[in-house]
Amino acid sequence: MDIMEDFKQKFIEEADELISNLEASLLILEKKPHEKEHIEKVFRIMHTLKGNGGMFGFNKISEFTHNLESIYDFVRSGEMEINKELLDITLLSVDHLKMLLKNGDNLGSDLQKTHSNFTSKIENIINRKLMGGNDYSIEKQIGYGDNSAGLFSGNAANRKTFYIKFQPNEYIFNNGTNPLFLIDEINTLGTSAAVAHLENIPAAETFDCTKCYTWWEIFVATHEKISTLDDVFIFVEDDSKIKISEIAPSDLFLNHDFKKYIENLQKSGNQFNIEFLKKLPGIGDKIKPVAEETPEQPEMTAQLPVVGKVKAEAVISSIRVSSGKVDLLMNLVSEMVTLQARLNLYTESHHDPELLSIAESVQKLSRQLRDNAFSISLIPIGSILTRFQRLVRDLSGDLGKKINFIIKGEETELDKTIIENLSDPLMHILRNSLDHGIETPEVRLKNGKTEEGNIYLKAFYSGSNVHIEVKDDGAGFDPEKILQKARLKGLVSEQAILDKSQIFDLVFTPGFSTADAVSDISGRGVGMDVVNRKISEIRGEVVLDSEKGKGTTVTIILPLTLSIIDGMQVNIGRAAYIIPLYAVHKIYSVSHLVIQNAFDNIIALEGEQLPFFSLREQFGVDGDPPEREEIVVVKYENRKVGLVIDKVLGEYQTVLKPLGKHYKSQEFISGGTILGDGTVALVLDTNKIISKFSNNTQIMEESR
Amino acid sequence: MSDSQSKVINSYLTFKLGEVMFASHVENVIKILEMQHITVVPRTPPFMKGVINLRGNVLPVIDARIKFGIPPTEYTKKTCILVLSIQIDDEHVEVGAIVDAVKDVLEYDFDKILPSPGLGSKYKSGFIEGVMKVNDNFIMILNMNTVFSTEEIIDLQEQTEKTVEKLKKEKSKKKVI
Amino acid sequence: MSKTVLVVDDSPSIREAVGYTLQTEGYQVIKAESGKDALENIDGKQVDLVITDLHMPAMNGIELTKEIRKLNDFSRVPILLLTTESQVSKKLEAKLAGATGWIIKPFVAEKLISVVKRVLR
Repeated sequence: MDIMEDFKQKFIEEADELISNLEASLLILEKKPHEKEHIEKVFRIMHTLKGNGGMFGFNKISEFTHNLESIYDFVRSGEMEINKELLDITLLSVDHLKMLLKNGDNLGSDLQKTHSNFTSKIENIINRKLMGGNDYSIEKQIGYGDNSAGLFSGNAANRKTFYIKFQPNEYIFNNGTNPLFLIDEINTLGTSAAVAHLENIPAAETFDCTKCYTWWEIFVATHEKISTLDDVFIFVEDDSKIKISEIAPSDLFLNHDFKKYIENLQKSGNQFNIEFLKKLPGIGDKIKPVAEETPEQPEMTAQLPVVGKVKAEAVISSIRVSSGKVDLLMNLVSEMVTLQARLNLYTESHHDPELLSIAESVQKLSRQLRDNAFSISLIPIGSILTRFQRLVRDLSGDLGKKINFIIKGEETELDKTIIENLSDPLMHILRNSLDHGIETPEVRLKNGKTEEGNIYLKAFYSGSNVHIEVKDDGAGFDPEKILQKARLKGLVSEQAILDKSQIFDLVFTPGFSTADAVSDISGRGVGMDVVNRKISEIRGEVVLDSEKGKGTTVTIILPLTLSIIDGMQVNIGRAAYIIPLYAVHKIYSVSHLVIQNAFDNIIALEGEQLPFFSLREQFGVDGDPPEREEIVVVKYENRKVGLVIDKVLGEYQTVLKPLGKHYKSQEFISGGTILGDGTVALVLDTNKIISKFSNNTQIMEESR
Repeated sequence: MSDSQSKVINSYLTFKLGEVMFASHVENVIKILEMQHITVVPRTPPFMKGVINLRGNVLPVIDARIKFGIPPTEYTKKTCILVLSIQIDDEHVEVGAIVDAVKDVLEYDFDKILPSPGLGSKYKSGFIEGVMKVNDNFIMILNMNTVFSTEEIIDLQEQTEKTVEKLKKEKSKKKVI
Repeated sequence: MSKTVLVVDDSPSIREAVGYTLQTEGYQVIKAESGKDALENIDGKQVDLVITDLHMPAMNGIELTKEIRKLNDFSRVPILLLTTESQVSKKLEAKLAGATGWIIKPFVAEKLISVVKRVLR
């Protein structure tokens, strides 16, 4: 048996017993409402169900027992009294808990309705208590004052706003503390906002991921006393500098200007300045002075931004963020995009206009967030190009060559991961140009060229791709010699007739180049197969073009990003696939008979002859195709090709996840993506599909 | 604590494929999942069952039965997916393995593990790390790194039988002496 | 040499799940169903970490922490408390009793493991 299932089963048995005990205790309390032992028992059972339910995936039980636990906590501390209404509702909840235990979190719509009704009834009881107007024990309420409601947020009256400066020691991670959990905890106490300060994060070379470089300023509006805030940091106080002070006797988060100010701090990473806050209309009079800066941190005082004009100038236009954080952000955004898809799916099946409008807003927001996060993860290619300047300078000196190295398009941005993997292949290509492309000054002069050779490195956008071109005006390749060499090595048969680009492709074949020198192409192919492999690992392509005596151009074609693309979801049989939207030209609906009877896989659509092939057939999908199939027309190089699928389902934001090493030979699939229902759909690489599966020469020749 | 004081105790997860019990060191097992919908990847060998969603990432899933040359059967309630962490070319890779049933986690004294007996050149060595003897039954400890990194189907059924045969023979020899 | 963790919880499901999670990470696990059971069980044993539920009948996690701290061999063993966010107010009490830290339920296996690893490093 599945071990986790085993534990879940254990929990169910345990919970069953607890619920039975709960019932027994409630029945006793009905007769003797002051029986302390049983009040304790009821509280403990609620507490256990709440804490443990969540551990085994019974989140509904956790939610449901949360408020009951609070109520019985009040009862046991004498702040609330047991009466008939409370007992009735608790007894009813016994049956409800049994139902939740049986059904788990997936309630049908009817049960869900009952659940919501029930939950809100209990919420009413607790709210009545918290709002002070409760009919349970009025004199106690007065006696205890507002602090009795301290655990709960939601009631804006009598909140105070606190300022917390939290500077963890670098080694805080060592004792198992995640500072973010503490910030989360503060958040449960009321309304809060945290400003993370990242200026201490060192450069990537010296970055140590086991150290904490960040410090925080946290603002929280809460009913809690300052000591409760102190308690949050209790386990880290030895390892951190913590300063907590009350800045206002009211909830500043209700003030629009305050919120704006905090948002600005979060964006700029500037430090909080109490003086600035005092000047804000409607706030200033409420502000209390922050406790004096402690003498051991004078450097902080010195850095406090100056109010007014000077401050505006001090705004930092860019911040350094560790790449780990960017990765995390991208992962979180990925998850959110996936969740968004789930929300959409749910919204479609529930015709609720309110829900629809919320889902639409969330969709809009998550799209913006996605694009924004995506743009953060892009970095200009210039960041790796400078080191090539140096390489060219040093190497040309060693080789006794004169080289003019020109870089263009440094500002072209690419995904961080792509840039990281681009350095080695580019280095390789440049080396080849220097070593074997550009001739020595004497040879160049003899051939009527300038003494100084030129290498251009140019990066530019082309549609959803980035091209990186390395062009030299050196000796170039002789296609004849390449072909000869390939034949000699048995890479092509003697009879094969290849065009120029096919011949140049041979350079990328593993085993093409060797150490034995054959005149001007000697060693030129060294490692080009490696370059090709590295580039295809980041879903790119390498193309070589050359003219003997004139020079060579190596072009690397790369996708903009590896992680997120807009896709179109299609079905083949029961399986869902994603086709990248940028490749899609048009969609036609065609009867299966027409497709079946098409001669030589060519169909006439809108007067055009369109070559096509069926993915159902190519993928070996079982079962019969539907009566009407759909043809997705995709762009393939400068031609159009139809892919026959069962049905197009719609647009889909896709977060691409690699399929992993086990599927490395399935290169016609770019990766997988998680659909709204939690299953995986495969993302198709249309170019690779067409070049791999289409034996139809028509596609290659006639569809121009 | 010095080594002389303590024996190395290792925990193993045991599972069934067909009628045969196997074991994996728990350090390889990350998680055990219920059988669930698996997305088929076209044009793959039959033991490559497809991919599933594991915490938002894509996990390749291999049917261990087919991989080992045991005839496939219908999946049952007991069928589950072991999420394994294995090493391929110095990289940690996660892979799911469909097994017929997970039995137990047991602790076994490292010193008591019998070495995998030489099986003759006909069989690939390295798939079986060693053999445990529990209540007179032999349990093969699989080397997950080699088993799930290779792309061919392993005839483990046969290999297993040979191993057990050999061990039994060795045991009976000892008795005679 | 693998480290030994004492897991104390009156709820068998949590006890078993936490125990199993730690075992899969290669830790030796001793389980106890109450504070009393725990104190009896650890006598004379090498324990590198104690994980206990906060809310238990008879002896709660804080009381257990105090008892463990009284034992000579255990004055420095890290103690982690399992609790829910509603018991945040007990944090001070737990710290004063000598607890090392706490983990809020519900948590996932990964979080448990990462906290345990850091504490044991």
